[in-house]
Amino acid sequence: MSNSALTREVRLGTVPADSSSGPPARKRRSLRRNNRVGYLFIAPSIVGFGLFVAYPLVMSIYYSLTRWNGVTKPQFIGLDNYVYMLTKDPVFWIAVRNTLVFAVISVPVSLIAGLALAVLLNRKLKGVKIFRTIFFLPVVLPSIAVLTMWKYLFDPQFGLANQILSWLHLPTSQWLSSADTAMPTVILIGVWGVGGTMIIFLAGLQNVPDELYEAAKLDGAGAIRTFFSVTLPMITPILLLQLILQINGAFQTFNQIAILTQGGPDNSTDLLMYKIYTDGFTSVNNPLMGYATAEVWFLFILVMIVTAFTFRTSSMWVYNANETRN
Amino acid sequence: MTTMTTVAPKPQTAGSPPNRRKAPLSVRVPMHVSRLAWYLLCAVLAVSMIFPLLWMLSIALKSDTDINQLPPDLLPKEFIWSNFIDGPKQINFLGLLGNTVTITVLVTVGAVLSSMLVGYGLARVEFTGRKVWFYVFTCSIFLPGIVGMIPLVRLYIAVHLYDSWWPLILPAFLGNPIFTFLARQYFMTIPMSIDEAATIDGAGHWRIFTRIMFPLTKPLWITMAVMSFQGAWNDYLSPLIYLTTDSKYPLSLGMAQFSGSFAGVSVTPYNYYMATNFWYMLPPLVLFFLAQRYFMTGLGSLGGGTK
Repeated sequence: MSNSALTREVRLGTVPADSSSGPPARKRRSLRRNNRVGYLFIAPSIVGFGLFVAYPLVMSIYYSLTRWNGVTKPQFIGLDNYVYMLTKDPVFWIAVRNTLVFAVISVPVSLIAGLALAVLLNRKLKGVKIFRTIFFLPVVLPSIAVLTMWKYLFDPQFGLANQILSWLHLPTSQWLSSADTAMPTVILIGVWGVGGTMIIFLAGLQNVPDELYEAAKLDGAGAIRTFFSVTLPMITPILLLQLILQINGAFQTFNQIAILTQGGPDNSTDLLMYKIYTDGFTSVNNPLMGYATAEVWFLFILVMIVTAFTFRTSSMWVYNANETRN
Repeated sequence: MTTMTTVAPKPQTAGSPPNRRKAPLSVRVPMHVSRLAWYLLCAVLAVSMIFPLLWMLSIALKSDTDINQLPPDLLPKEFIWSNFIDGPKQINFLGLLGNTVTITVLVTVGAVLSSMLVGYGLARVEFTGRKVWFYVFTCSIFLPGIVGMIPLVRLYIAVHLYDSWWPLILPAFLGNPIFTFLARQYFMTIPMSIDEAATIDGAGHWRIFTRIMFPLTKPLWITMAVMSFQGAWNDYLSPLIYLTTDSKYPLSLGMAQFSGSFAGVSVTPYNYYMATNFWYMLPPLVLFFLAQRYFMTGLGSLGGGTK
């Protein structure tokens, strides 16, 4: 009797499960015990998934079809929210465009800068640990504290940024207070936190086997050639992970906008996430929670499309040494 | 990754003796130059990284008239150390701090415990459907947090937990998806033979988990603890959405209000603000320095990619 047939017999009750001795029965019993133990171990995440992922997903589909201020009963209005969002809301497409611009610039900048720093610090020289700590420091500090500090630093009047520019006889800037410069300034401030990206790249670089570098050296490859032929291919799995996480983070940027610009000036830094928050929770007497949920769905689908696209193209450039494993 | 010191004897590569001696010789001279350049570059970068913080401290030490000076001075004319005491008095600092500490400690304990459990289950117990659950949990990393917030507000209102700390603490105890992923990857790198030996000695999964895995994965859970501590200490959006009573606010909201309430007003007590900011930054900073040496190993499992 094949194993699966036996299992079926047991389930049907034709073969008593416990009385039959021998290896298959014991194996089956331990498998069943394993199932119980396994599900006990992962129970927190199953409950968490149900409560914080599945339930909200289902409910938010419904809420997005309602007019709802968060207090009274949601009132079903069909696709009105979506129609308003896509065709009438004067700020919606500005926020979408801003979000895309923000992601398209800040993600590559932070990846390249993070990787450059990681390569720079992937050395066994005296003091390298101190430098690693210093570059990672900004990541450790609470973002609310850090962002307010930056806001003051870029204050057109009292800020140090303009002061330094004027010492160097360079033209000063309005930084966060002008629609032209606000977005670049927000992105620039984000670069300060590049240490987080750096540290993960560094962890990856340290996993690249030394033999590969030795082989490259013997083949006469220079530093640049070694980087592009050995280092970069070997860390592509991390690059993919970072890319996905950062795209996600960029699309959900909130603190930076809430503290630095509150979407202004002239909506030039209004990102989708911030707009969802203001529509859903702060619109003074009339929070539009139903409408905000519709916007959430747009954001969600946007993130999914970009993530899926990244995954799909990744097989072309991600090196996978364990392809045959598992 | 972990200290996998099973280094095989290095294969004798084709590098013949003359070749070997030659290579270092030809690069020796530029080596010093490049090392010097390296130190210079790192120093410049390090200064530019630290500079904003130094300037923050400088403002924290300035007098009220000093901060309104135009153009601003780099250093305070006189050092007002009392700002570090008077600043926090501008907001209910100790009360807010107490709230933040309570929330953060609970979140950290919850996130570490639950994610370790789930990670262990996914990596080391062979049960039906574990791959499916792994993908389900991993995919939920990519769900924007805001998707959940609006329906959850209504749910928490319905069960009378809105405007309490529960919405901030409860999710941590139910498995943080990123930490779960991190833990699972880390557990995968530990040789299975350890479990097998323990099983032969009569240990069950629970015993293996508590007695063997916790000591063995110290860098992992220290990394997770530091990260979740920082996450909770930092969290701004969740308390902003779920809390409405001032006395329940954490420091992040208090600090944002501190600056917000003065923004646009001509007399901005930024010296007080920055001094208070310093206290707000201090605990995560100290924690990081204490845990620092475990950090790289802990994050190393992310470097392993999708094993």
